[in-house]
Amino acid sequence: MSVPADTLARSSQGDRIRGTAFYALLLVSITIGFLLLGVLLVDVVRKGIGYVDPTLLGEPNSSDPNEAGAGPAIRGTIYMMLLLLVMVVPLGVGTALYLEEYANRDRWYNRLLEINIQNLAAVPSIVYGILGLAFIVRGIGLGRVLLAGAVILTLLVLPTVIVASREAIRAVPDSIRQGAYALGATQWQVVWRQVLPAAIPGIATGSILALARAIGETAPLLLVGALTFVSVNPTLLGSFTALPVQIYQWIGRPQEDFRLLAAAGIIVLLAILLTMNAFAIWLRNRYQRRW
Amino acid sequence: MPDMESAAAAPVRIAGVDERVLAEREERVSSHRRDVLFDVENLRVSYAGVPALKDVSLEIYKNFITAFIGPSGCGKSTFIRCFNRMNDLIPTAAVEGTIRYHGADLYGPEVDPVEVRKRIGMVFQKPNPFPKSIYDNVAFGPRVLGWKKNLDERVERALRQAALWDEVKKRLKASAYSLSGGQQQRLCIARCLAVEPDVLLMDEPASALDPISTTAIEDLMHELKRDYTIVIVTHNMQQAARVADMTAFFSVDVDEEHDRRTGILVEYDTTPTIFTQPSDKRCEDYVTGRFG
Amino acid sequence: MRVTFQEELDQLEATLQEEGELVLRALRGSLNALAQQDVELADEVIAFDDEVDDHYLGIEEGIQSLLARQTPVAVDLRLVLAVLHVNLHLERMADYCVTIAKLTKLVHDSPADETLMEAFEEMGGRAEQMIRVALDSFAERDLESAETLPELDELIDRANRRVVGHVLSLGSDQEKLEWGLRMIVVSRCLERIGDHAVDIGEQTAYFVTGEFREFTDASH
Repeated sequence: MSVPADTLARSSQGDRIRGTAFYALLLVSITIGFLLLGVLLVDVVRKGIGYVDPTLLGEPNSSDPNEAGAGPAIRGTIYMMLLLLVMVVPLGVGTALYLEEYANRDRWYNRLLEINIQNLAAVPSIVYGILGLAFIVRGIGLGRVLLAGAVILTLLVLPTVIVASREAIRAVPDSIRQGAYALGATQWQVVWRQVLPAAIPGIATGSILALARAIGETAPLLLVGALTFVSVNPTLLGSFTALPVQIYQWIGRPQEDFRLLAAAGIIVLLAILLTMNAFAIWLRNRYQRRW
Repeated sequence: MPDMESAAAAPVRIAGVDERVLAEREERVSSHRRDVLFDVENLRVSYAGVPALKDVSLEIYKNFITAFIGPSGCGKSTFIRCFNRMNDLIPTAAVEGTIRYHGADLYGPEVDPVEVRKRIGMVFQKPNPFPKSIYDNVAFGPRVLGWKKNLDERVERALRQAALWDEVKKRLKASAYSLSGGQQQRLCIARCLAVEPDVLLMDEPASALDPISTTAIEDLMHELKRDYTIVIVTHNMQQAARVADMTAFFSVDVDEEHDRRTGILVEYDTTPTIFTQPSDKRCEDYVTGRFG
Repeated sequence: MRVTFQEELDQLEATLQEEGELVLRALRGSLNALAQQDVELADEVIAFDDEVDDHYLGIEEGIQSLLARQTPVAVDLRLVLAVLHVNLHLERMADYCVTIAKLTKLVHDSPADETLMEAFEEMGGRAEQMIRVALDSFAERDLESAETLPELDELIDRANRRVVGHVLSLGSDQEKLEWGLRMIVVSRCLERIGDHAVDIGEQTAYFVTGEFREFTDASH
């Protein structure tokens, strides 16, 4: 019994039109997005490329745009990143491990903890700034120092790191844990020798992405005391500044040249961001487990 | 008998049969005593108060292969996990009754589950090698036990016992995931053997494997039972028939009133008996494939 | 692969061949007892049948266990079924030897007829030869050799047909007649032993070729 060819033909014309229209809509969305980004980038690069030179990278700020640089600001940003790394990764991974491996989900305090972490991720960064000013700068009297800035940023990105780490830890299949337990390993041994090593690529990727977000934060840093005119290199307990803050300060100046300088600063900031993100993606692709 | 003896039997000649092998097997079979290794009494396992398995009593004998068979949901996996206290890892699980191992209660107050698992190893249904090298997989057990010396020898010995050494000896540093399914399962067996247990528990060890790998694992079990006691759960009856010395048939007891299904032990006997003349009709229905 | 299974199959065959050897010994014993009209030897043959029965039952049990547990297929299944049948034939042959021994005992003090005794020695010798050929061709999986069995059976069948005529010619003496009638049964036993040997040959053919077929012989 043969099937007539026309029963295999598409039955509805309207369906095809809808399909095409939908596809077109998607293309338009992508185009708009890329177009906007492209315009911004091109504008910034056109304005700032002339000012990207060793002066920018090395020299401290000055009232003369030709001699002004973002040296201390760049150093401040880098030092803060390092401090951030050292503080947020152990805290974040530790919390994630506790929640995934040790916490009993039925207990109220654990459930409360989970809800809190999810909420913290949504808090605007300026609120962290205010909190930092109240409790860390004034409350414990640390003052307007680099360390304070780093602590604030740590709290800011901590929820992100916790969530990313939890995902990575959860992605480790339970069969691995079962296999390790069945060999006579204690819970500590299972977590330290099997779960954590297997989750590291995911944790690393998540941490780098969190750091990349922190790099661009300006508002909390301003509140906590990043100065806009710093001529010395930052130290742990000394006054400091960061690149976004420096850019903000330059934009506020009347001279046109400072705006171009700001654009240059943005280019540097973008370059750092892009490098970090690219590294994170490379890490993820290289070490991602296909369970 | 004068004339009968003078017409003495000529030596038995069979193409390809080694008389020594036959004699050895004869001797093994006739001298096979039953030494009790596990003594289970009135075991009951519940999850969050709902019983999954009840009233189980039997003995597991040393250097025997014992198989648990039965339809799905009859609690055989739950049961086998009681022997190495893996049910402890499930917060809602509760175990009542006793299991004696070498005479001592496995669930006694002084007993550390970690110590239990060092002596009673387990191989799982889906091969679960660690995301490490072949060497590190096998070495993991000894390392967590603190056996740092002679690691190379331990690894080699375990891999030989699992009939995997020849296939991997040139690439011990390769990832465990580069092995085929059957090889991965043998790696998991080697991993268990490296901690020198008494007992090997196998929860459907070959169900995820192709027929040739399955036969390889079954042959391995025959080899291993000389030195270890093996307990296996299998939903493949024929496998139990081929491999096991003793077979336990579990079934499901349905309580219509409370809408409860609980696993129970129906019959436990030597494998030839279970598959030629089982005493319980439910067992016979199951092995003849008329169940359900 | 499946080492244990192979060992079990080998064990089964070894026991079968052992049983074959026992049958040969029983046959030789019964023939000697018959020729020498030796009651003691006849008793030994009868008692000896227990050993054959032990082997028979052991093989039966072994086959039951093997079929249940190992689900043999193809050549393994044919081997097991062939062993099952050969086992039956061997056991029947042994029973016939016992019958011969019992008959020997029954008429041991009657005078024996020389010609008939010689005929029995010939038939018995041929039966022994056939059993040996049957067992060897089974062990060696030799189809050609197995196919010679119907021809060998010829001699026994012809001799058997002549026995009745010969007994009739013994005369009308009561004792001699009784003896003669018993000897007809002995002849029948030897003829049946020959037939069972041919049946064993057919099992070899089934095992090798997978076909169920009877050997054509002169009586068809």
